[in-house]
Order: sequence, then structure tokens, then C-alpha cells
Amino acid sequence: MKIENHILDILQLYEYAMAIGKSLDYKESCDLFLKLILKRKNLNAAWILEPKGKLLHSTYAIPFGKEISIKKDQPISEFLKTIEFSKIVPVDSIVSSISPIPIDKGNATIFNLEEEGYLFLYSKKDNLSNKDLSQLEPVIKKFTINLKACKALKEQEQLLHNLEVQNQELSDYAHMVSHDLKSPLRSVDTLAAWLIEDNKDKLDEHCSTQLDLIRSNVEKMDALINGILDYSAIGKNQVETYKIDLNLLLKDVLNMMEIPSHISVNMPELPTIIGDKYRLQQLFQNLISNAVKYNDKPKGVIEIGIEEKEQFWQFYIKDNGKGIDEVYFNKIFKVFEKLENIEGSTGVGLSIVKKIVDLYGGKIWLTSEPGKGSTFYFTLKKKSNGEA
Amino acid sequence: MLITTTNTDEIVSAISNHVGDNAALITIGEHTEIDVTQLISELNASQTKFMGGIFPKVIHGNSILDKGIVINTLNNLESMFLVKNISTKDYTIPKVVFSKNHDYSLFTYVDGLTSNISHYLSELYENYGMQTNYFGGGAGSLSLEQRPCVFNSEGVFQDAAVFAIMKMSSRIGVKHGWSKVDGPFIVTKAEGNIIKEINWKNPFKVYKEVVEAHSGKTFTDSNFFDIAKGYPFGILKDDAECIVRDPLMVNDKGELVCVGELEVNVLVDILNGDKASLINAAKGAAQDSIKKASAPRKAILIDCISRILFLEDNFDKELTAITSTIEKNFDNISIGGALTLGEISSYGEGFLEFYNKTVVVGLFE
Repeated sequence: MKIENHILDILQLYEYAMAIGKSLDYKESCDLFLKLILKRKNLNAAWILEPKGKLLHSTYAIPFGKEISIKKDQPISEFLKTIEFSKIVPVDSIVSSISPIPIDKGNATIFNLEEEGYLFLYSKKDNLSNKDLSQLEPVIKKFTINLKACKALKEQEQLLHNLEVQNQELSDYAHMVSHDLKSPLRSVDTLAAWLIEDNKDKLDEHCSTQLDLIRSNVEKMDALINGILDYSAIGKNQVETYKIDLNLLLKDVLNMMEIPSHISVNMPELPTIIGDKYRLQQLFQNLISNAVKYNDKPKGVIEIGIEEKEQFWQFYIKDNGKGIDEVYFNKIFKVFEKLENIEGSTGVGLSIVKKIVDLYGGKIWLTSEPGKGSTFYFTLKKKSNGEA
Repeated sequence: MLITTTNTDEIVSAISNHVGDNAALITIGEHTEIDVTQLISELNASQTKFMGGIFPKVIHGNSILDKGIVINTLNNLESMFLVKNISTKDYTIPKVVFSKNHDYSLFTYVDGLTSNISHYLSELYENYGMQTNYFGGGAGSLSLEQRPCVFNSEGVFQDAAVFAIMKMSSRIGVKHGWSKVDGPFIVTKAEGNIIKEINWKNPFKVYKEVVEAHSGKTFTDSNFFDIAKGYPFGILKDDAECIVRDPLMVNDKGELVCVGELEVNVLVDILNGDKASLINAAKGAAQDSIKKASAPRKAILIDCISRILFLEDNFDKELTAITSTIEKNFDNISIGGALTLGEISSYGEGFLEFYNKTVVVGLFE
């Protein structure tokens, strides 16, 4: 009979232990374990008090009762200090004062859960013994770890949520500001154009140059704003992906760009991949446009290449232009970072490229030699997440 | 009060005369030839407050009836509620303010064939805790076909529960009389009311081995319940009677379908009882209820339908054991109730439990 009782004790601990860790939600974890203890041990109530500064707060209670938020005064502090790991105490005025439910008799069994506070199990009778406390020790320790994990997950989720909200807010802000800036800019440009048009004969050369400068700067600013708008729009919407023939896409891109006659663009037969046309166009257009813009050779050559890997496509766009010093390799992908002042350059192009590659779950990097040219490599996952 | 007429006007008149300004607890035998929807409509018209359930059989005094309506008065009613969607857990238990200096009793009828009844009971306890006693049973048909079986002024519903809270003290006795044959076993896999694994093995194989060895009978394709009704499972509790779970059938996979849910990793014994032990337990439940009672006005019996299926003709003896024990102590007490699909009470004032194959005796002051 004794052996049978020991087996029963062990199996009961197994039941309790298996009820812990099934969830990483704080309330659900408490429900799963504490309701089981209440049922099996015929107890009446359970609650957890957590110290926060000088206060004690209830973080869980069954039955719900009232919420506890009480100052940890001297008698309460002294009382809690006496609980090293666990203790059974008759309900007195101190225990009553930190109970969510009105109790004035019976016994409370208190477990010290370290940073997670104190667990109280209440019984109208004396349903828990010191033997129970010893047996429950490993189970309660596991429960404490479970509560810690629940909190860590919640904090992580909260941080991620905050980050997402902040990213969204920043993106919305950039979009809104850029959009609002375009309207007065258009007015400035129109007014400058009218001034030139209406005063063609009256304006001296100095004034005409100044007005042309105004229009040229307005144009730069417009390009910059368009860049910001494009940048903030990437990743904003869920975009459908579909099959794209890259040969046709690149043909369209090159037609749109008007490549100067001294520069030739070579490319092999390209595959059909899964993606969305608009963003892939942006990606290739920005890289080819840079290769054209920063080419100082009398005979410029741009080479587009591709290599099929198991999980992704690896592309490269190679030019024989000015090249980039290695110290700038990371800097160039940051927004508004440009290495030299070239007309029409906004410093947004490569940031847009990086953002699109990120969105496709890929990587972008480059090799370059100043004076000889650069090669930009990027990968696109064969099965993208469809978010663009 | 027992009503045997099937005339709705007469029923309504009898109920309103019986309960007056109080509310009525209406317990209907499933074969009673009445239109419950019409009864509800006429009770509403007569402005009678009520709630009720339809059960396999009803109890009135020493009689067990397939047909008939048993009426109990719900005195000092504080509030009465309907809870829908028990199976999907999509409901909120209403807030109730309990006064410190009074005793309360909560009476509930729940669709006994719906799932997640344990969750409903847990929600009741979370909200009302130790401020009230709990008492009730599972309604439904003995055919085990789920259909609308609990009702109040809003209509008759399945997958629902009704409950009333009364400012009234009550004394409750709970016993079953089944004892251990073998165990403990671990229910290593379960889903709702289906045991999918015992001790990491096929549950029917484990169950069959124990039961056949003890009973000397052999399970065939068609006799599962005939044997299993005498061999329920018992969920182990510390220093208290186990909670009985009734195996109803074995499915194609050798999984055991029970009345009432079992959690994964719960420890169970396989139990058995005989006529004497069950009848003694019923008497014990009655004795427990009368221990602290001073002047109860009525006794409500919630007795599991599967006990009558096990005891058969001897069920009269169980009922007499209960009624005679109560009547010996309290003259002129009205005794009524139902044979139910699951029984409800707080065991020794602790957490609420849903039982099978158990007798719950409630004495209401």
C-alpha cells in the first residue's frame, strides 16, 4: 500500500508538471496549472501577488475577487520575508489584507516565486501539508520559470509591436510630408515659369540665370521628394506576385531610360521569376541608371548577369565606370547618402534598391575598384513572401 | 409539485399558483407530451419567472417518471441568466453583487451533451467563487442525441445553460459508491470527452484487459456499454472521492468516448461498484446533506441516469434510501429532481466539478 501511495504521489506530480509550460500566455499558464491544483487538492482559491516597487499587485486570481494594489508596509514586508520557499499559515489579518477574496479563516499556503512574486493557495480546511509543500517544490519551480518565459515573450511581442508601429508611423510621415511638399513646389516652379514667360524681353541675363537656377533646384527637389515617396511606399502594401519574364522587363526598363549612345548594355537570356513588375522595374532601373550616371569612360559597358542557386536567383550588374572606394560600400545604401553631387542624383536610389531586395528576402553587396568600375550583386528568393 | 396534465393552460395555472411571486424551477421528463415553446410563451404571458430543463426522467418523492413536470419554487431569487454557446466558450458570465451577510445558492441546468461544460463551471467559479453554493445537472435526452433541452423566458436551447442565484442557504451531499479495481493510469492523450491513449497505449486495450479480467465477461462488437456501465473511470483527487467519468462507447480507433471531459495527463482508476455500494453511497450523500441543515423546505435530487441503467430494478432502493434518510430528519419536506446526464456541485465547497454516475442531494432552506 505504501509503494502504491508513493507511485500515486509521483504520478500526481507528473500530472502537475505536464500542465506547466503548455502555454506562453500568462493567464492561460496560471489557469492550466492552478485550476488543476485547486481541483485535485480541493482548494478554494489561488492568487499571485507581485511586488512592483513599494506596492504589491495581484497578477492572477481565481476566483477573480477584487484587484489588489497595496502598499508593502512593514508588517507585510516582514511577513513576506519569512517565506523562504514555502509556508503554510493560518489566515490572519495580514493574509486577509492581501487577499483578493474576503477570507477570515482557513489556511493559506504561500510559495515564493522570486521575481514573479508570491503564489497563495487558500483552503477553508487544512488540505495542504508540509509533505505536499516538499513534493510540490520542483513543480512550483517549473511554474516560476514558465511565468518568467510568459513575461519575456510578452515583452518581446510588445517591443516588436512598438517597432512595427514606429516604422509604420515613420513611413506614413515620410509619405505625407513628401506629398504635401510637392504642391508648393509645383507652385514655385509654375510662378518661376510665368515670370520667365511674361518678362522674356525685360529680364537681363543675370535675372534669367537666377530664375533658371530656381527652376533647376525645384526640379532637384521634386526628384528628391519622388525618391522619398517611392522609398516610403515600398513594403507599405501587400502586393500580388506573379510570373515575370525578365527579358521583357529589362527591355522596357532600357527603353524608358534612354541609354546614351556611348554606353552599351549586354545581358544574357534571362529567366522568368516570381515577383511584381513595378518593384522589379524600380530595382533594375536604379542600378542601371547608376551604372550609366557614374560612367566616365568614352566607351561605357554595362553587363547584366544571372546565376541560378538552389533557393534564390543571384544577379549582378557590372560597369566600367568610376568605381567606389571600399570605405563607402555600406554608406551608399543609406538614404540621402551620395558620394558626389551629380545632377539628377538624389541619394535615394540605392536605398530603394536595398529595401526592395530586403523585401524579396535577398541580399545586396558590391565589389569595386576605383577607376575601373563596380559590380553590384543581389539575390532574390525564388519563393518570396509576396509582400512588397 | 408534480404536474401530469398535458394541457398547457392547466400547467401554467398550476405553476403560477404554486410559486406565486417566486420563480419556478421546471423539470420535465423527456417523454412528456407538451409543446415546450408554447408553455414558455404562456408562462411569459402570465408573467411567471422560470427556468428549466428536459431530462431523461424526473423524480418526485419516491417515484421515477418518464413523463411529468416537477416544479420547485426558487425562493428569494436574486437573478436568473441564460448562457449560450457553451461549446465555443463564446460567452461572458454576468457580474452579480453578493451581500456579505447572506448565504447564496446557485442552481444550474446545462445541456449535458454539449462540450466544454467544465469550462462553463470554471467560469462560474472564477466569477462567483465561494460566495455561493453550486448545484445542478446536465439536461438532455437518453437517446444521447443533442437537442434543445434547457429553457427560460427567452426560449428553449441546446448548447446552453440556465442558472439562478438565490439568497438561500443550502446543504449539499455528493457521493457515488464506485471503488477502485485497478490503477492509477495516465490518460496520456485526450481530446474533450474522448480518451485517445492510456499509458501511451490504445485505451480500449488497456481498459479491456482490466475489465475482462475483473468481470469474467468478454467484450464483443455489441456489448460495450452493457459491461462498461459497471466499470467507469475515476479521476483521482487528494483525500476525496474520485470524479467519475462514464465510458459510453468505443470508436473504430479503439478510443473511448466518455460523458464529460478528461484533461491530458489526468490520473484515473478503473472503478467498479455493486448494487449495495451504490445504494449506500446514495444514502451517504443524503446523510451528508442533512448534517448541517436546520430547517430545509425542499430537497432536490440530481441522480445520474446511468445509475438507473446499472441498478435497474434496484434503483427504487437507491431512491428510497435517499428519501427515507431525508424524511426521517425533516417532516413534510418536498422531494423532487431529475435523472441527469452529468451532475454538478462544488465538492466540499471547493472548485466546481462535473460528475458522472453520481448522486447529488441538495437541501434548500
